[in-house]
Amino acid sequence: MLVVNNVTKKYGKLVANDNVSFCIESGEVSLLLGPNGAGKTTLIKCISGLLKFSGVIEICGYGNKTLQAKRYLGYIPEVPSLYEMLTVWEHMEFIARAYSLENWRERAENLLARFELDDKKKKLGRELSKGMQQKLSICCGILPEPKVILFDEPMVGLDPHAIKELKNMIIEQRQAGNAILISTHMLDSVTDFWDSTNIMIEGKIVDSRKRSEMEEAEEDLEDLFFRITKREN
Amino acid sequence: MRALIYLMFTQMKNRILSLRKKPGMLILYGFILLMVIGSVLLLIFTGEYNTKEVYADSRILYLFLCGFGLLYYFTFTTSGLATGSSFFTMADVGLLFVAPISNKKILFYGLISTIGKTVIASIFIIYQISNLRNNFGYGMTEVLALFLIYIIMIIFCQTYSIGIYVFSNGNQARKNIVKAFLFLSFGILILSVYMIILNKQVDILEAIKILVDSKWFGYFPIAGWSVMLFKGILAGSTMQIVISLALFVGISALVVTLLTAHDADYYEDVLYSTEIMHQRLKDYKEGRNVSSTTYRKVKIKDNENGFMKSKGAFVFAYKHLLEMKRGSRLIFVDIVTILIAIGAGIAGYYMKDDKSAYIFLGTIIYFQYFVTVFGRLKIELIKPYIYLVPETSFKKLFAASISSLLKPCIDSVIIFGVFALVGGAGIMQCIFMALAYCSSGAVFVGLTVLYQRIFGGQPNRVIKTFLGVLLMFIIFTPSIIATVLIAIFIIPETLQFLYTLPFTGINIICAFIIFYGCRNMLDNTEYSEGMM
Repeated sequence: MLVVNNVTKKYGKLVANDNVSFCIESGEVSLLLGPNGAGKTTLIKCISGLLKFSGVIEICGYGNKTLQAKRYLGYIPEVPSLYEMLTVWEHMEFIARAYSLENWRERAENLLARFELDDKKKKLGRELSKGMQQKLSICCGILPEPKVILFDEPMVGLDPHAIKELKNMIIEQRQAGNAILISTHMLDSVTDFWDSTNIMIEGKIVDSRKRSEMEEAEEDLEDLFFRITKREN
Repeated sequence: MRALIYLMFTQMKNRILSLRKKPGMLILYGFILLMVIGSVLLLIFTGEYNTKEVYADSRILYLFLCGFGLLYYFTFTTSGLATGSSFFTMADVGLLFVAPISNKKILFYGLISTIGKTVIASIFIIYQISNLRNNFGYGMTEVLALFLIYIIMIIFCQTYSIGIYVFSNGNQARKNIVKAFLFLSFGILILSVYMIILNKQVDILEAIKILVDSKWFGYFPIAGWSVMLFKGILAGSTMQIVISLALFVGISALVVTLLTAHDADYYEDVLYSTEIMHQRLKDYKEGRNVSSTTYRKVKIKDNENGFMKSKGAFVFAYKHLLEMKRGSRLIFVDIVTILIAIGAGIAGYYMKDDKSAYIFLGTIIYFQYFVTVFGRLKIELIKPYIYLVPETSFKKLFAASISSLLKPCIDSVIIFGVFALVGGAGIMQCIFMALAYCSSGAVFVGLTVLYQRIFGGQPNRVIKTFLGVLLMFIIFTPSIIATVLIAIFIIPETLQFLYTLPFTGINIICAFIIFYGCRNMLDNTEYSEGMM
């Protein structure tokens, strides 16, 4: 569902992503791990179509810059980017109308209720705390029912209840057959549901593993991460 | 102290080195520097002073100084009453305030950093050398004097604001004293102008000029001291220079002494304002309207549906309408419209000939640039949604520009309606000037798109300001030349209200070319959070 093939992103002489390739299948939760500055956020922005790159990125078989691909993509940025003069509910309405969604109201209500934002529907974006902004940003990303969902550090700033709810939501999305890419440093929070992982260092993918392989080899995700990042450094 | 010196110089060095990664900015800063150096060299090589027989009244310049002074006096007093001011950043609060360094040294560091920043920000005065020479016959001494006075004024105001905060924080009685003093001083000024009008039988402008030029006005806080200092330098009067400097320096020293005397702990006094400044700077960098973050309470009505039946890309246009409605009850009519309309009323009342009407049009088009390029389209381009929504780039760009294209149309009806009403120009001329104003608005919306296309992001305010003057010159020169030629050779005098038509036509063509040329921009440029 998500194919990233030989993607390179340069900022002047700095190579932020160096010939990165991987793919994520339907119903797969893939982790993008790596130390700070490894190029994870840049890669996610490239996949979202926000940055230019060389290489190929396909979402459900369409080039990531096409309108079809945009319809299938959900992106939850690292830093929530909301409109300060729109209320919580208006953000949902804005997304629904921008994506020309049908029968979205009930889904929007449910999403807000799950993240305990249902009593804050009339609050403006500027009045929300950082955690609430992150919750709303997640709701905005999920509302169009994307087939490929990109989460960039989604747990940061969330309270324990919201983290639990987000985990459940990710599992539901996987069960619905969607492909999910999560960039995170909070390894503990994703151990229950990941299927594959790509570890990035200095813009390159230095290791890729499937959960099944690791379980067979009785390897631990955290140990693997520290072993690889230490070795590379 | 070593740590502070290290901090100061390292920051400065890194700021300069960071320009290597932004060649566009480097070229632009180089260009600005060259313009300033060029202005200075021009002054040196063409002789210090001009030889015109008649120069503009120096009191006009005193009025400018006085205007800045009064504005700062009012705003820094009110900000002192509310939040105070600060020489520090949040990094200073987090890293310096908790470090084992004397708070006096830290205050000194804050002062020096502020002076440095103010000197750089005030460089625009040097840029005015040729204007000051041509209009007032001033040389380098006077220009440098203005430069220094402006710096002194800014630094003093920040110190003064902290002083007001320390004096009045948490004490309503003291706050009332400061407020009373502020309003009393402005009251005295208004009364003085009124008395001059009565006694000397002059108009209001002349009365203000007489007041500002008077001896006793020199003792009026900030505005008067600045005028006294400038007049002292012009006249070579040591007494005036010493008195005005003593007032600036004396009161600053008093505030600094209060802050650092004995065990005085000023950290708390500057903390709140530092936090506020940090938030404002963050908003500014992220392209938000800083004034909108004053957190005015917005009432959200039940069943309010600002999006109506919009779908797809056009939801951006409706969203802008909703946001504008929350910013101003009259949607498109905001404080800028009202201020320009007042200006139109005054200009139209005093300037009755056709030429003046065109000068007025030129002036408001100049201001229109800033209102437009810092408008809603810019904010949309620094958020990810416009790039993510599954609609074509052109549709999204157009939809996100609609509010910015409509605003000048509504504004022009009000502004030129007022202008026509007070008799500034005939109705037909006002209609065609309004059309010209709308068309220049479309060009400026196009420039916002062009900036994104060329720079891959929205340049900051300083760059946009300098670029704007240059681009306005490039874009408007052909249309102004065409307008003049057509006016002289083609349009008969009876149809002189059509003079602006070529300008309007060329602007519309320019705007169309820019939009058409950048129609795929959202697919081809990169999203960048905040301004460059």
